[in-house]
Order: sequence, then C-alpha cells, then structure tokens
Amino acid sequence: MSAVAVEVRPPLWRRLIGFNALTAVVFGIGGYYLGWFIGHHINGASVAYLGVGGIDQNDLSVFLGYFLGVAGFLIGMGFGVYPWARLRGYPPSLREKEQQGVGRYFGLCTDHKVVGIQYLCGIGLFFFIGGLNAMLIRVELLSPARQVFPAGQYLTLVGMHGTMMMGIMSSAILGPFANYFVPLMIGARRMAFPRIESLTFWLLMAGGAILTTTIFFGGFPTGWTGYQPLNDQANTGMDSYIVFFALVGISMCLLGLNMIATIVTMRAPGLTWSRLPIFCWGVLSTAVLQLLAAPVLIAVLGMAMLDRTAQTTFFIPSGGGSPYLYQNLFWVFGHPEVYILALPGFAIVLELLPVFARKPLWGYRLAVAGMLGVTLLSWLVWQHHLFMSGINSNLRPFYMLSTELISIPTGFTFLCGLMTLWRGQIRFTVPMLFCLAWFFNFLIGGLSGVFLSDVPSDVTTHGSFFSMAHFHYTIMGGLVFTFFAAIYYWIPKMTGFQLNERLGKIHFWVMFIAFNSTFAPLFAAGFLGQARRDVTYPAHLQFINDWVSISAFVLGASMLVFLYNFVHSLLFARIKAPVNPWSSLSIEWQLPSPVPVHNFDQIPVFTSDPYGYGEPSRPSALPAASPAGGSS
Amino acid sequence: MSRTGAKILGVATGVAVAGILIGFYIAGYLVGNTPAFRPTVQGSSASPTVHLTIETVAAVGPTLAPHPDWVSYLVRNNSGRWERSTVFTLPAHATIRVTIYNFDGASGLRNPLFGRPTGLVGPELVDGKPLVVMPPDQPSHTFAVPALGVLVPLAPVADNAKNTCGYAPCLLSMAHRTMTFVFRTGKKGHYRWQCFVPCAAGFMYGFGGPMQTIGYMDGFLNVV
Repeated sequence: MSAVAVEVRPPLWRRLIGFNALTAVVFGIGGYYLGWFIGHHINGASVAYLGVGGIDQNDLSVFLGYFLGVAGFLIGMGFGVYPWARLRGYPPSLREKEQQGVGRYFGLCTDHKVVGIQYLCGIGLFFFIGGLNAMLIRVELLSPARQVFPAGQYLTLVGMHGTMMMGIMSSAILGPFANYFVPLMIGARRMAFPRIESLTFWLLMAGGAILTTTIFFGGFPTGWTGYQPLNDQANTGMDSYIVFFALVGISMCLLGLNMIATIVTMRAPGLTWSRLPIFCWGVLSTAVLQLLAAPVLIAVLGMAMLDRTAQTTFFIPSGGGSPYLYQNLFWVFGHPEVYILALPGFAIVLELLPVFARKPLWGYRLAVAGMLGVTLLSWLVWQHHLFMSGINSNLRPFYMLSTELISIPTGFTFLCGLMTLWRGQIRFTVPMLFCLAWFFNFLIGGLSGVFLSDVPSDVTTHGSFFSMAHFHYTIMGGLVFTFFAAIYYWIPKMTGFQLNERLGKIHFWVMFIAFNSTFAPLFAAGFLGQARRDVTYPAHLQFINDWVSISAFVLGASMLVFLYNFVHSLLFARIKAPVNPWSSLSIEWQLPSPVPVHNFDQIPVFTSDPYGYGEPSRPSALPAASPAGGSS
Repeated sequence: MSRTGAKILGVATGVAVAGILIGFYIAGYLVGNTPAFRPTVQGSSASPTVHLTIETVAAVGPTLAPHPDWVSYLVRNNSGRWERSTVFTLPAHATIRVTIYNFDGASGLRNPLFGRPTGLVGPELVDGKPLVVMPPDQPSHTFAVPALGVLVPLAPVADNAKNTCGYAPCLLSMAHRTMTFVFRTGKKGHYRWQCFVPCAAGFMYGFGGPMQTIGYMDGFLNVV
C-alpha cells in the first residue's frame, strides 16, 4: 500500500490571516489613523480633532493619513514580503501565489491573467461609481431651480464623476486586456515585471477608495482638472483628489514601463515588429504616453500638495506663484491623457475588424504610423485648452494648427478600419457592433473637436456643454464602446464561458441609442449657452436637459443589462465557450480556455502576422503561430 | 444547500450589500441639504403678502460643514429658527416684506450704481431711515433679483463696533444693521437672486466659493 499525498485545505479563518485584501484594508485603516495623529501632532489639533464638529481642516494630517494608509495597504497586501526576503538572502523569484484558488484574486499575484481579471473587476467597480455620479448629476439638472443636493455638492458630483472616469479609465484597456493578452500575443509566459504589474492594480484600487472618501472632507469644487487657485482654496476634500490622481499617475507610469519592457524585450522568436499584432502597437503607443506624461501629473500634484501643506507658493499669485503654471503643467499631462484613453480604442477596433470582416487588416503600416503619429503629436497640442485663459495670442495659431494636424494620423487609423471593412464578409456579432459604433461616435467626436481647436469658434464653445458633448463622444464613444467590444470578444477566453449574444445585442442597441440621445442634444445646449459645472441653466433649456436626463437614465439602465448578462452567463448559465468561437487567427485563441498558468508548454515561433484571413496562400483555418502543446 | 442556491444567495447578498452602499453613498451627498423655504402666506389669494426675515453672516460656523468659514445668507423659518437656505418659494403677484439683519462688515462695490436701491415698493429703510444711495465703499452685501429689477444694498457693521458676531447663528443683541423693504414678485417663474458685492474672503477678487454657490450668497425665488 503506497502513501498518497493529500493536500489539506486549511480552514477559512486560517486562510484569512496572512497577506491579502482583508489584511491590507485593516493595515490601511491603521496606517491612515497613524498618519492622521502624526499630522495633528505636527500642525496642532483642528476643530474636528477636538470633536467639536465639522470636518477636519488639517491638510497635513489628511495627507499623512492617506500616505501611511496606502503604505499600510500595500504592506498588508504583501508587497513588502519579497524585498524583505531578498534582504535576508533568499533567492530571486518571479512567481508569487500563482497556483492558489479564488484567494489569488484578492491579493498580490504575479500571474498576468489574474491581474487582468482583477483589473476588469476593479475598473468595473469604479466605472459603476463614476456612472452613478453621472446619474446623480442628471437628476440635479432635471430642473434649473430646484436643488436636489446641498449647496456646493453638485460641483463635487461633477468632479467625482470626471476624476473617477478619467483616472480609473486610463487603464481600462491596458489594465484588463493588455495585461492579460499582450504576453500571450507576443508568446511570453509573463510580464517583464510581474510584481510591479500587480502593484499598478492595487495602487489604482487604493486611489479609487481614497477619492470616494472626499465626501467626508467636504468634496472638491474644481472638476477633474483641479485648477488653481480653487485647488488651493478648497476644503480638505481636495486632498483626496490630489492623492487619488497622484496614485493613478504612479500606477499609469509603472504600467506603461512594464508594457514597454515586455513588448520590446520579450517577444517570441519570429515576432518581428512588422508581425506584431496591431493591438500590441496600440498598447505600446499608449504605454509611451503613460510613461512620459504621468510624471508631469505627479509633479504638479506634488507642488499643489506643498502649497496646501508647507506654505509654498508655486501657484499662489500673492506669493509670486502662478495659477497659469498649474494649467500648463496639468495639460502637458492632460492632453496626452486624452490619447491614453483614445489610442487603446483604436487598437481594439483595428484588432477586431479583421476577425469579423474576414479580411486582412488594410494598411497595417499606415495604422501603426497613425498611432505613433498621434503619440508624437499629442505632446504639441496642450495649449488649445488655454486659448481662453489669456495666453500669448501669438501662440494660438501654432496650437490651432498642431491640433488640426493630429486629425491626419487619427484619420490614418480611421481609414485603415474603413478599408478593412470594405468588401469584407462582415459578421455582426456583439463585439463587431461595438466596433462599428466606434466609427460613428468617434466621427462625431472628431468633427465637433474642430470647433474647439479653431480659436474663433472656441471663443463661444469653450466651457460650455458643447465641449462636454464633444469629449463624451470621443472618450465614451471611443473608449467605453471599445471597452465593451473587448469584454464581449475576450471574455470567452478569459473565463471559458460565453456571454449571452441576445442580451449583448440588447445591451448594445440600448446603449448606442441612449448614448446618442444623451450627448447629441448637449451640442445644442452648449451652443445655446449652457455652461459646464453650473448647477443651474436658463429656464428655456429645461426641455433639452430633461430629454438628456431621461436618455442618460436609459443609458445607465443599459449597463444593468450588461451586468445581468455578465453575472447570469458566468455564474448560472455557464455555457462552455468553444476554444476559438470567432475563428480568429491570433495566437491567444489557439490556447485552451481559460489559458493555463504557464501559458505555453514551449515558446512559440511566429512565421506571420495574425491577419491572413482569406489569403489563398494561407488558409484562415491555420493559426498564425503554433504554441507547442497548447492547442486543444 | 445546492450549488445554484448558494450562487443565488451570494448574488442576492451582493445586490443587497451594493444597494446599501449605494444608499450610503447617495446619502453622503444629501446630508446637510436644506430644502426650499416656503414662508407663510398672509392676506387674500388676490393680494397675498409674505414676510421674509433674513440675516447675513460673515461665516456660517463649524456646525454647518463643509464650508464653516463661508459668508452666507440665512433665513428665519416658520418656527423661528435660522436655516441656511437661499431658495424661497413665493406666491405670484405677491407683496414681499423683507427684513434683513446684516452682521457683516463693509466690502465695497465694484460698480457704484449698485449703491442705489431699485425695483422696490417704497424706500429701503436702513435702521428705520430711508436710503437714497449708499456710498460705494460701504455696502456689505446686496440682495439683488435682476429679473425683477430689485437691488438692495446692505449697510455694514462698523469696524470698531463692539460685540460683533463671528459666525452664525448671530443674535440680535450683537452688533448689526437692519434693512427693511418691500417688493412684488410678478408672474410665475424661477428668479435668480444673489449678492453683487465681491464678498468671498480668501477667493480671488472676492468672487468664487460662496458667491457662486446656491445656499450661500446665491439663490432662487421660485414664484408659483
């Protein structure tokens, strides 16, 4: 009789003790209060500290609380374990908690696929909170004179919505999908820096939690830009904004660095630059922007923090500083940020169109040139945000021209997409519908952008709902639609189960119609004089605003259809997805679903790009590269 | 319990927890909301009369988070307590008799024309005396309803006054000035009213903050 090794699973209480999300939250709260007490010790007790009432007005204590809270959160998550082990002489290791069960999704895990799914759920959570804020904004705007929320809270609602969406959604494609699929697409077994990959996710979650606490500190009145001098004058709720965006900046910076290092150094044999999937090119372009733009954001927020705590005067005119400096530095980050949001959308569309049009990607090199061109030019346009801020008028023509110039590389990708569709055998699947919607939405967004880049028309459209409608067409129409395209496309590979196609189409049509019904009328509202970030508006605009509010509620309801589909399909219906349901030639679809921890038994050797659909010399049934032992 | 039952229970728990969290989240925004103030209407329905009693304070004080140091108007509600609301529901074609107690010091006008009371039925009385025009360096605040043509400058508390009020609620035993005036509301509609004196201490040029925030120095007359 031979002995059989049986793995004994420890009881639940034992599994909860250790480095995981629960410990991280406890350490995070402990760290916060430690920093809070230190801050009060340094700066003196405030009204809130004495328990008299009101909110804490001690910025230093709030900042220190957040910093030590984040440090405690990361230590509780286990990010200190490996450095400490190395200091004690333990050998290096690139893998951590990759084989554990459901618990690996609630802690530090170096499996890029786990991080991808963590990102999808985490971003989904904050996307929901941001969307909830949008619904509350529209409730408030149902009437120009009846106030649903207390004085000043409308600005916090707007700021929370904008900041949450711009910050969290910066990683909407790179977080879940690039982390999951880039290593697969390039034939690698992991990311270049697996722990940093996990760190980027948990930093983002810590940031999101911190931003939601702004309500307890009185909110912030600045919108997502955090402009000075309001920034310096605002409540301690502004500190939540500063710490949130700084954490987002660090997360973006590290995410970009990791992506660049992975794509540049870890491609499998045969995967030349001209064979690299277009999605990876989009990720690379975005990563470059993230790596270079995010440090400017971190720096400018650091300066704002010092103004609020250490009595520096970087942005305070009475001390020799300039609020205008903040505007410039913010938009040096802020406009590349717009393309950090838009470029992954381009990449998703161009990656998916050949699959559903059954045609090779038209103009592969032109598409790559387009994305790289956008990456380069996006650094040269930021002052179009300041046309109305009193900049030197001699600068205006240059920035007007450079802004209009960026439509050329953007047009390259648009053209490549359209030409890929031309005479294709189009399958109108749910992911394809979302991609097709991108063409319509982004066209409206792009054309309306011309009015904002031209100085004469910007004079009237700046700061109005016209501008708001424009960037929702580009960001929501460009990014969020492709985000859903990616979800419907890749979920079968990520989970092994397929989403309900009929519910997916209902989701699409309701979302597409409601989206346009929400934002198209806002162009008119903007032209008629409705200002952004204003709780009220002229009475004659109430009909437009009521229409928009109702459309927005329908748009919100479409997200519930998706949520129902997601939960029902993955938890209850659980219909096994075929290994390659879309008949894609891309390598990730040749692997089992879900993909095993080690990805490949042997590193594949690439011989072509993954877009050879319908080419006589290369039947589409054959994969572009064979992962040895990987097919099933 | 079956596997499906456990899943249903898990999802139901998740939905319940999410619902509670969403409720808390929305409640977090709603805390401190002061609904529109509807004063008692006197007289006949053909010629209604309303008495509004308002005070202007240099700061709302620590009990009125999140902006304890903001300048604000407060209105005396029907039970005699001061509340921070600047949205008033008033009847159409009514006579509004207003008393404003000002506890704040002088800020000064940008436009000297705002020193002359306009749009009133009869004169503005400052401490019981009719006012023709107030010197531009004196007004502490204004009560202005542009769509009704109403503009009323508020006289300041002297800089050297004793027993001044630091923050709300301010008692009538403290140093203050009293303005009384009458205006008519006209037809139904939403009429914005606000202070035109740049009185937001700590904000650039005195604008921003309380000056642009409904509930502080800005509000609506909902005429119904």
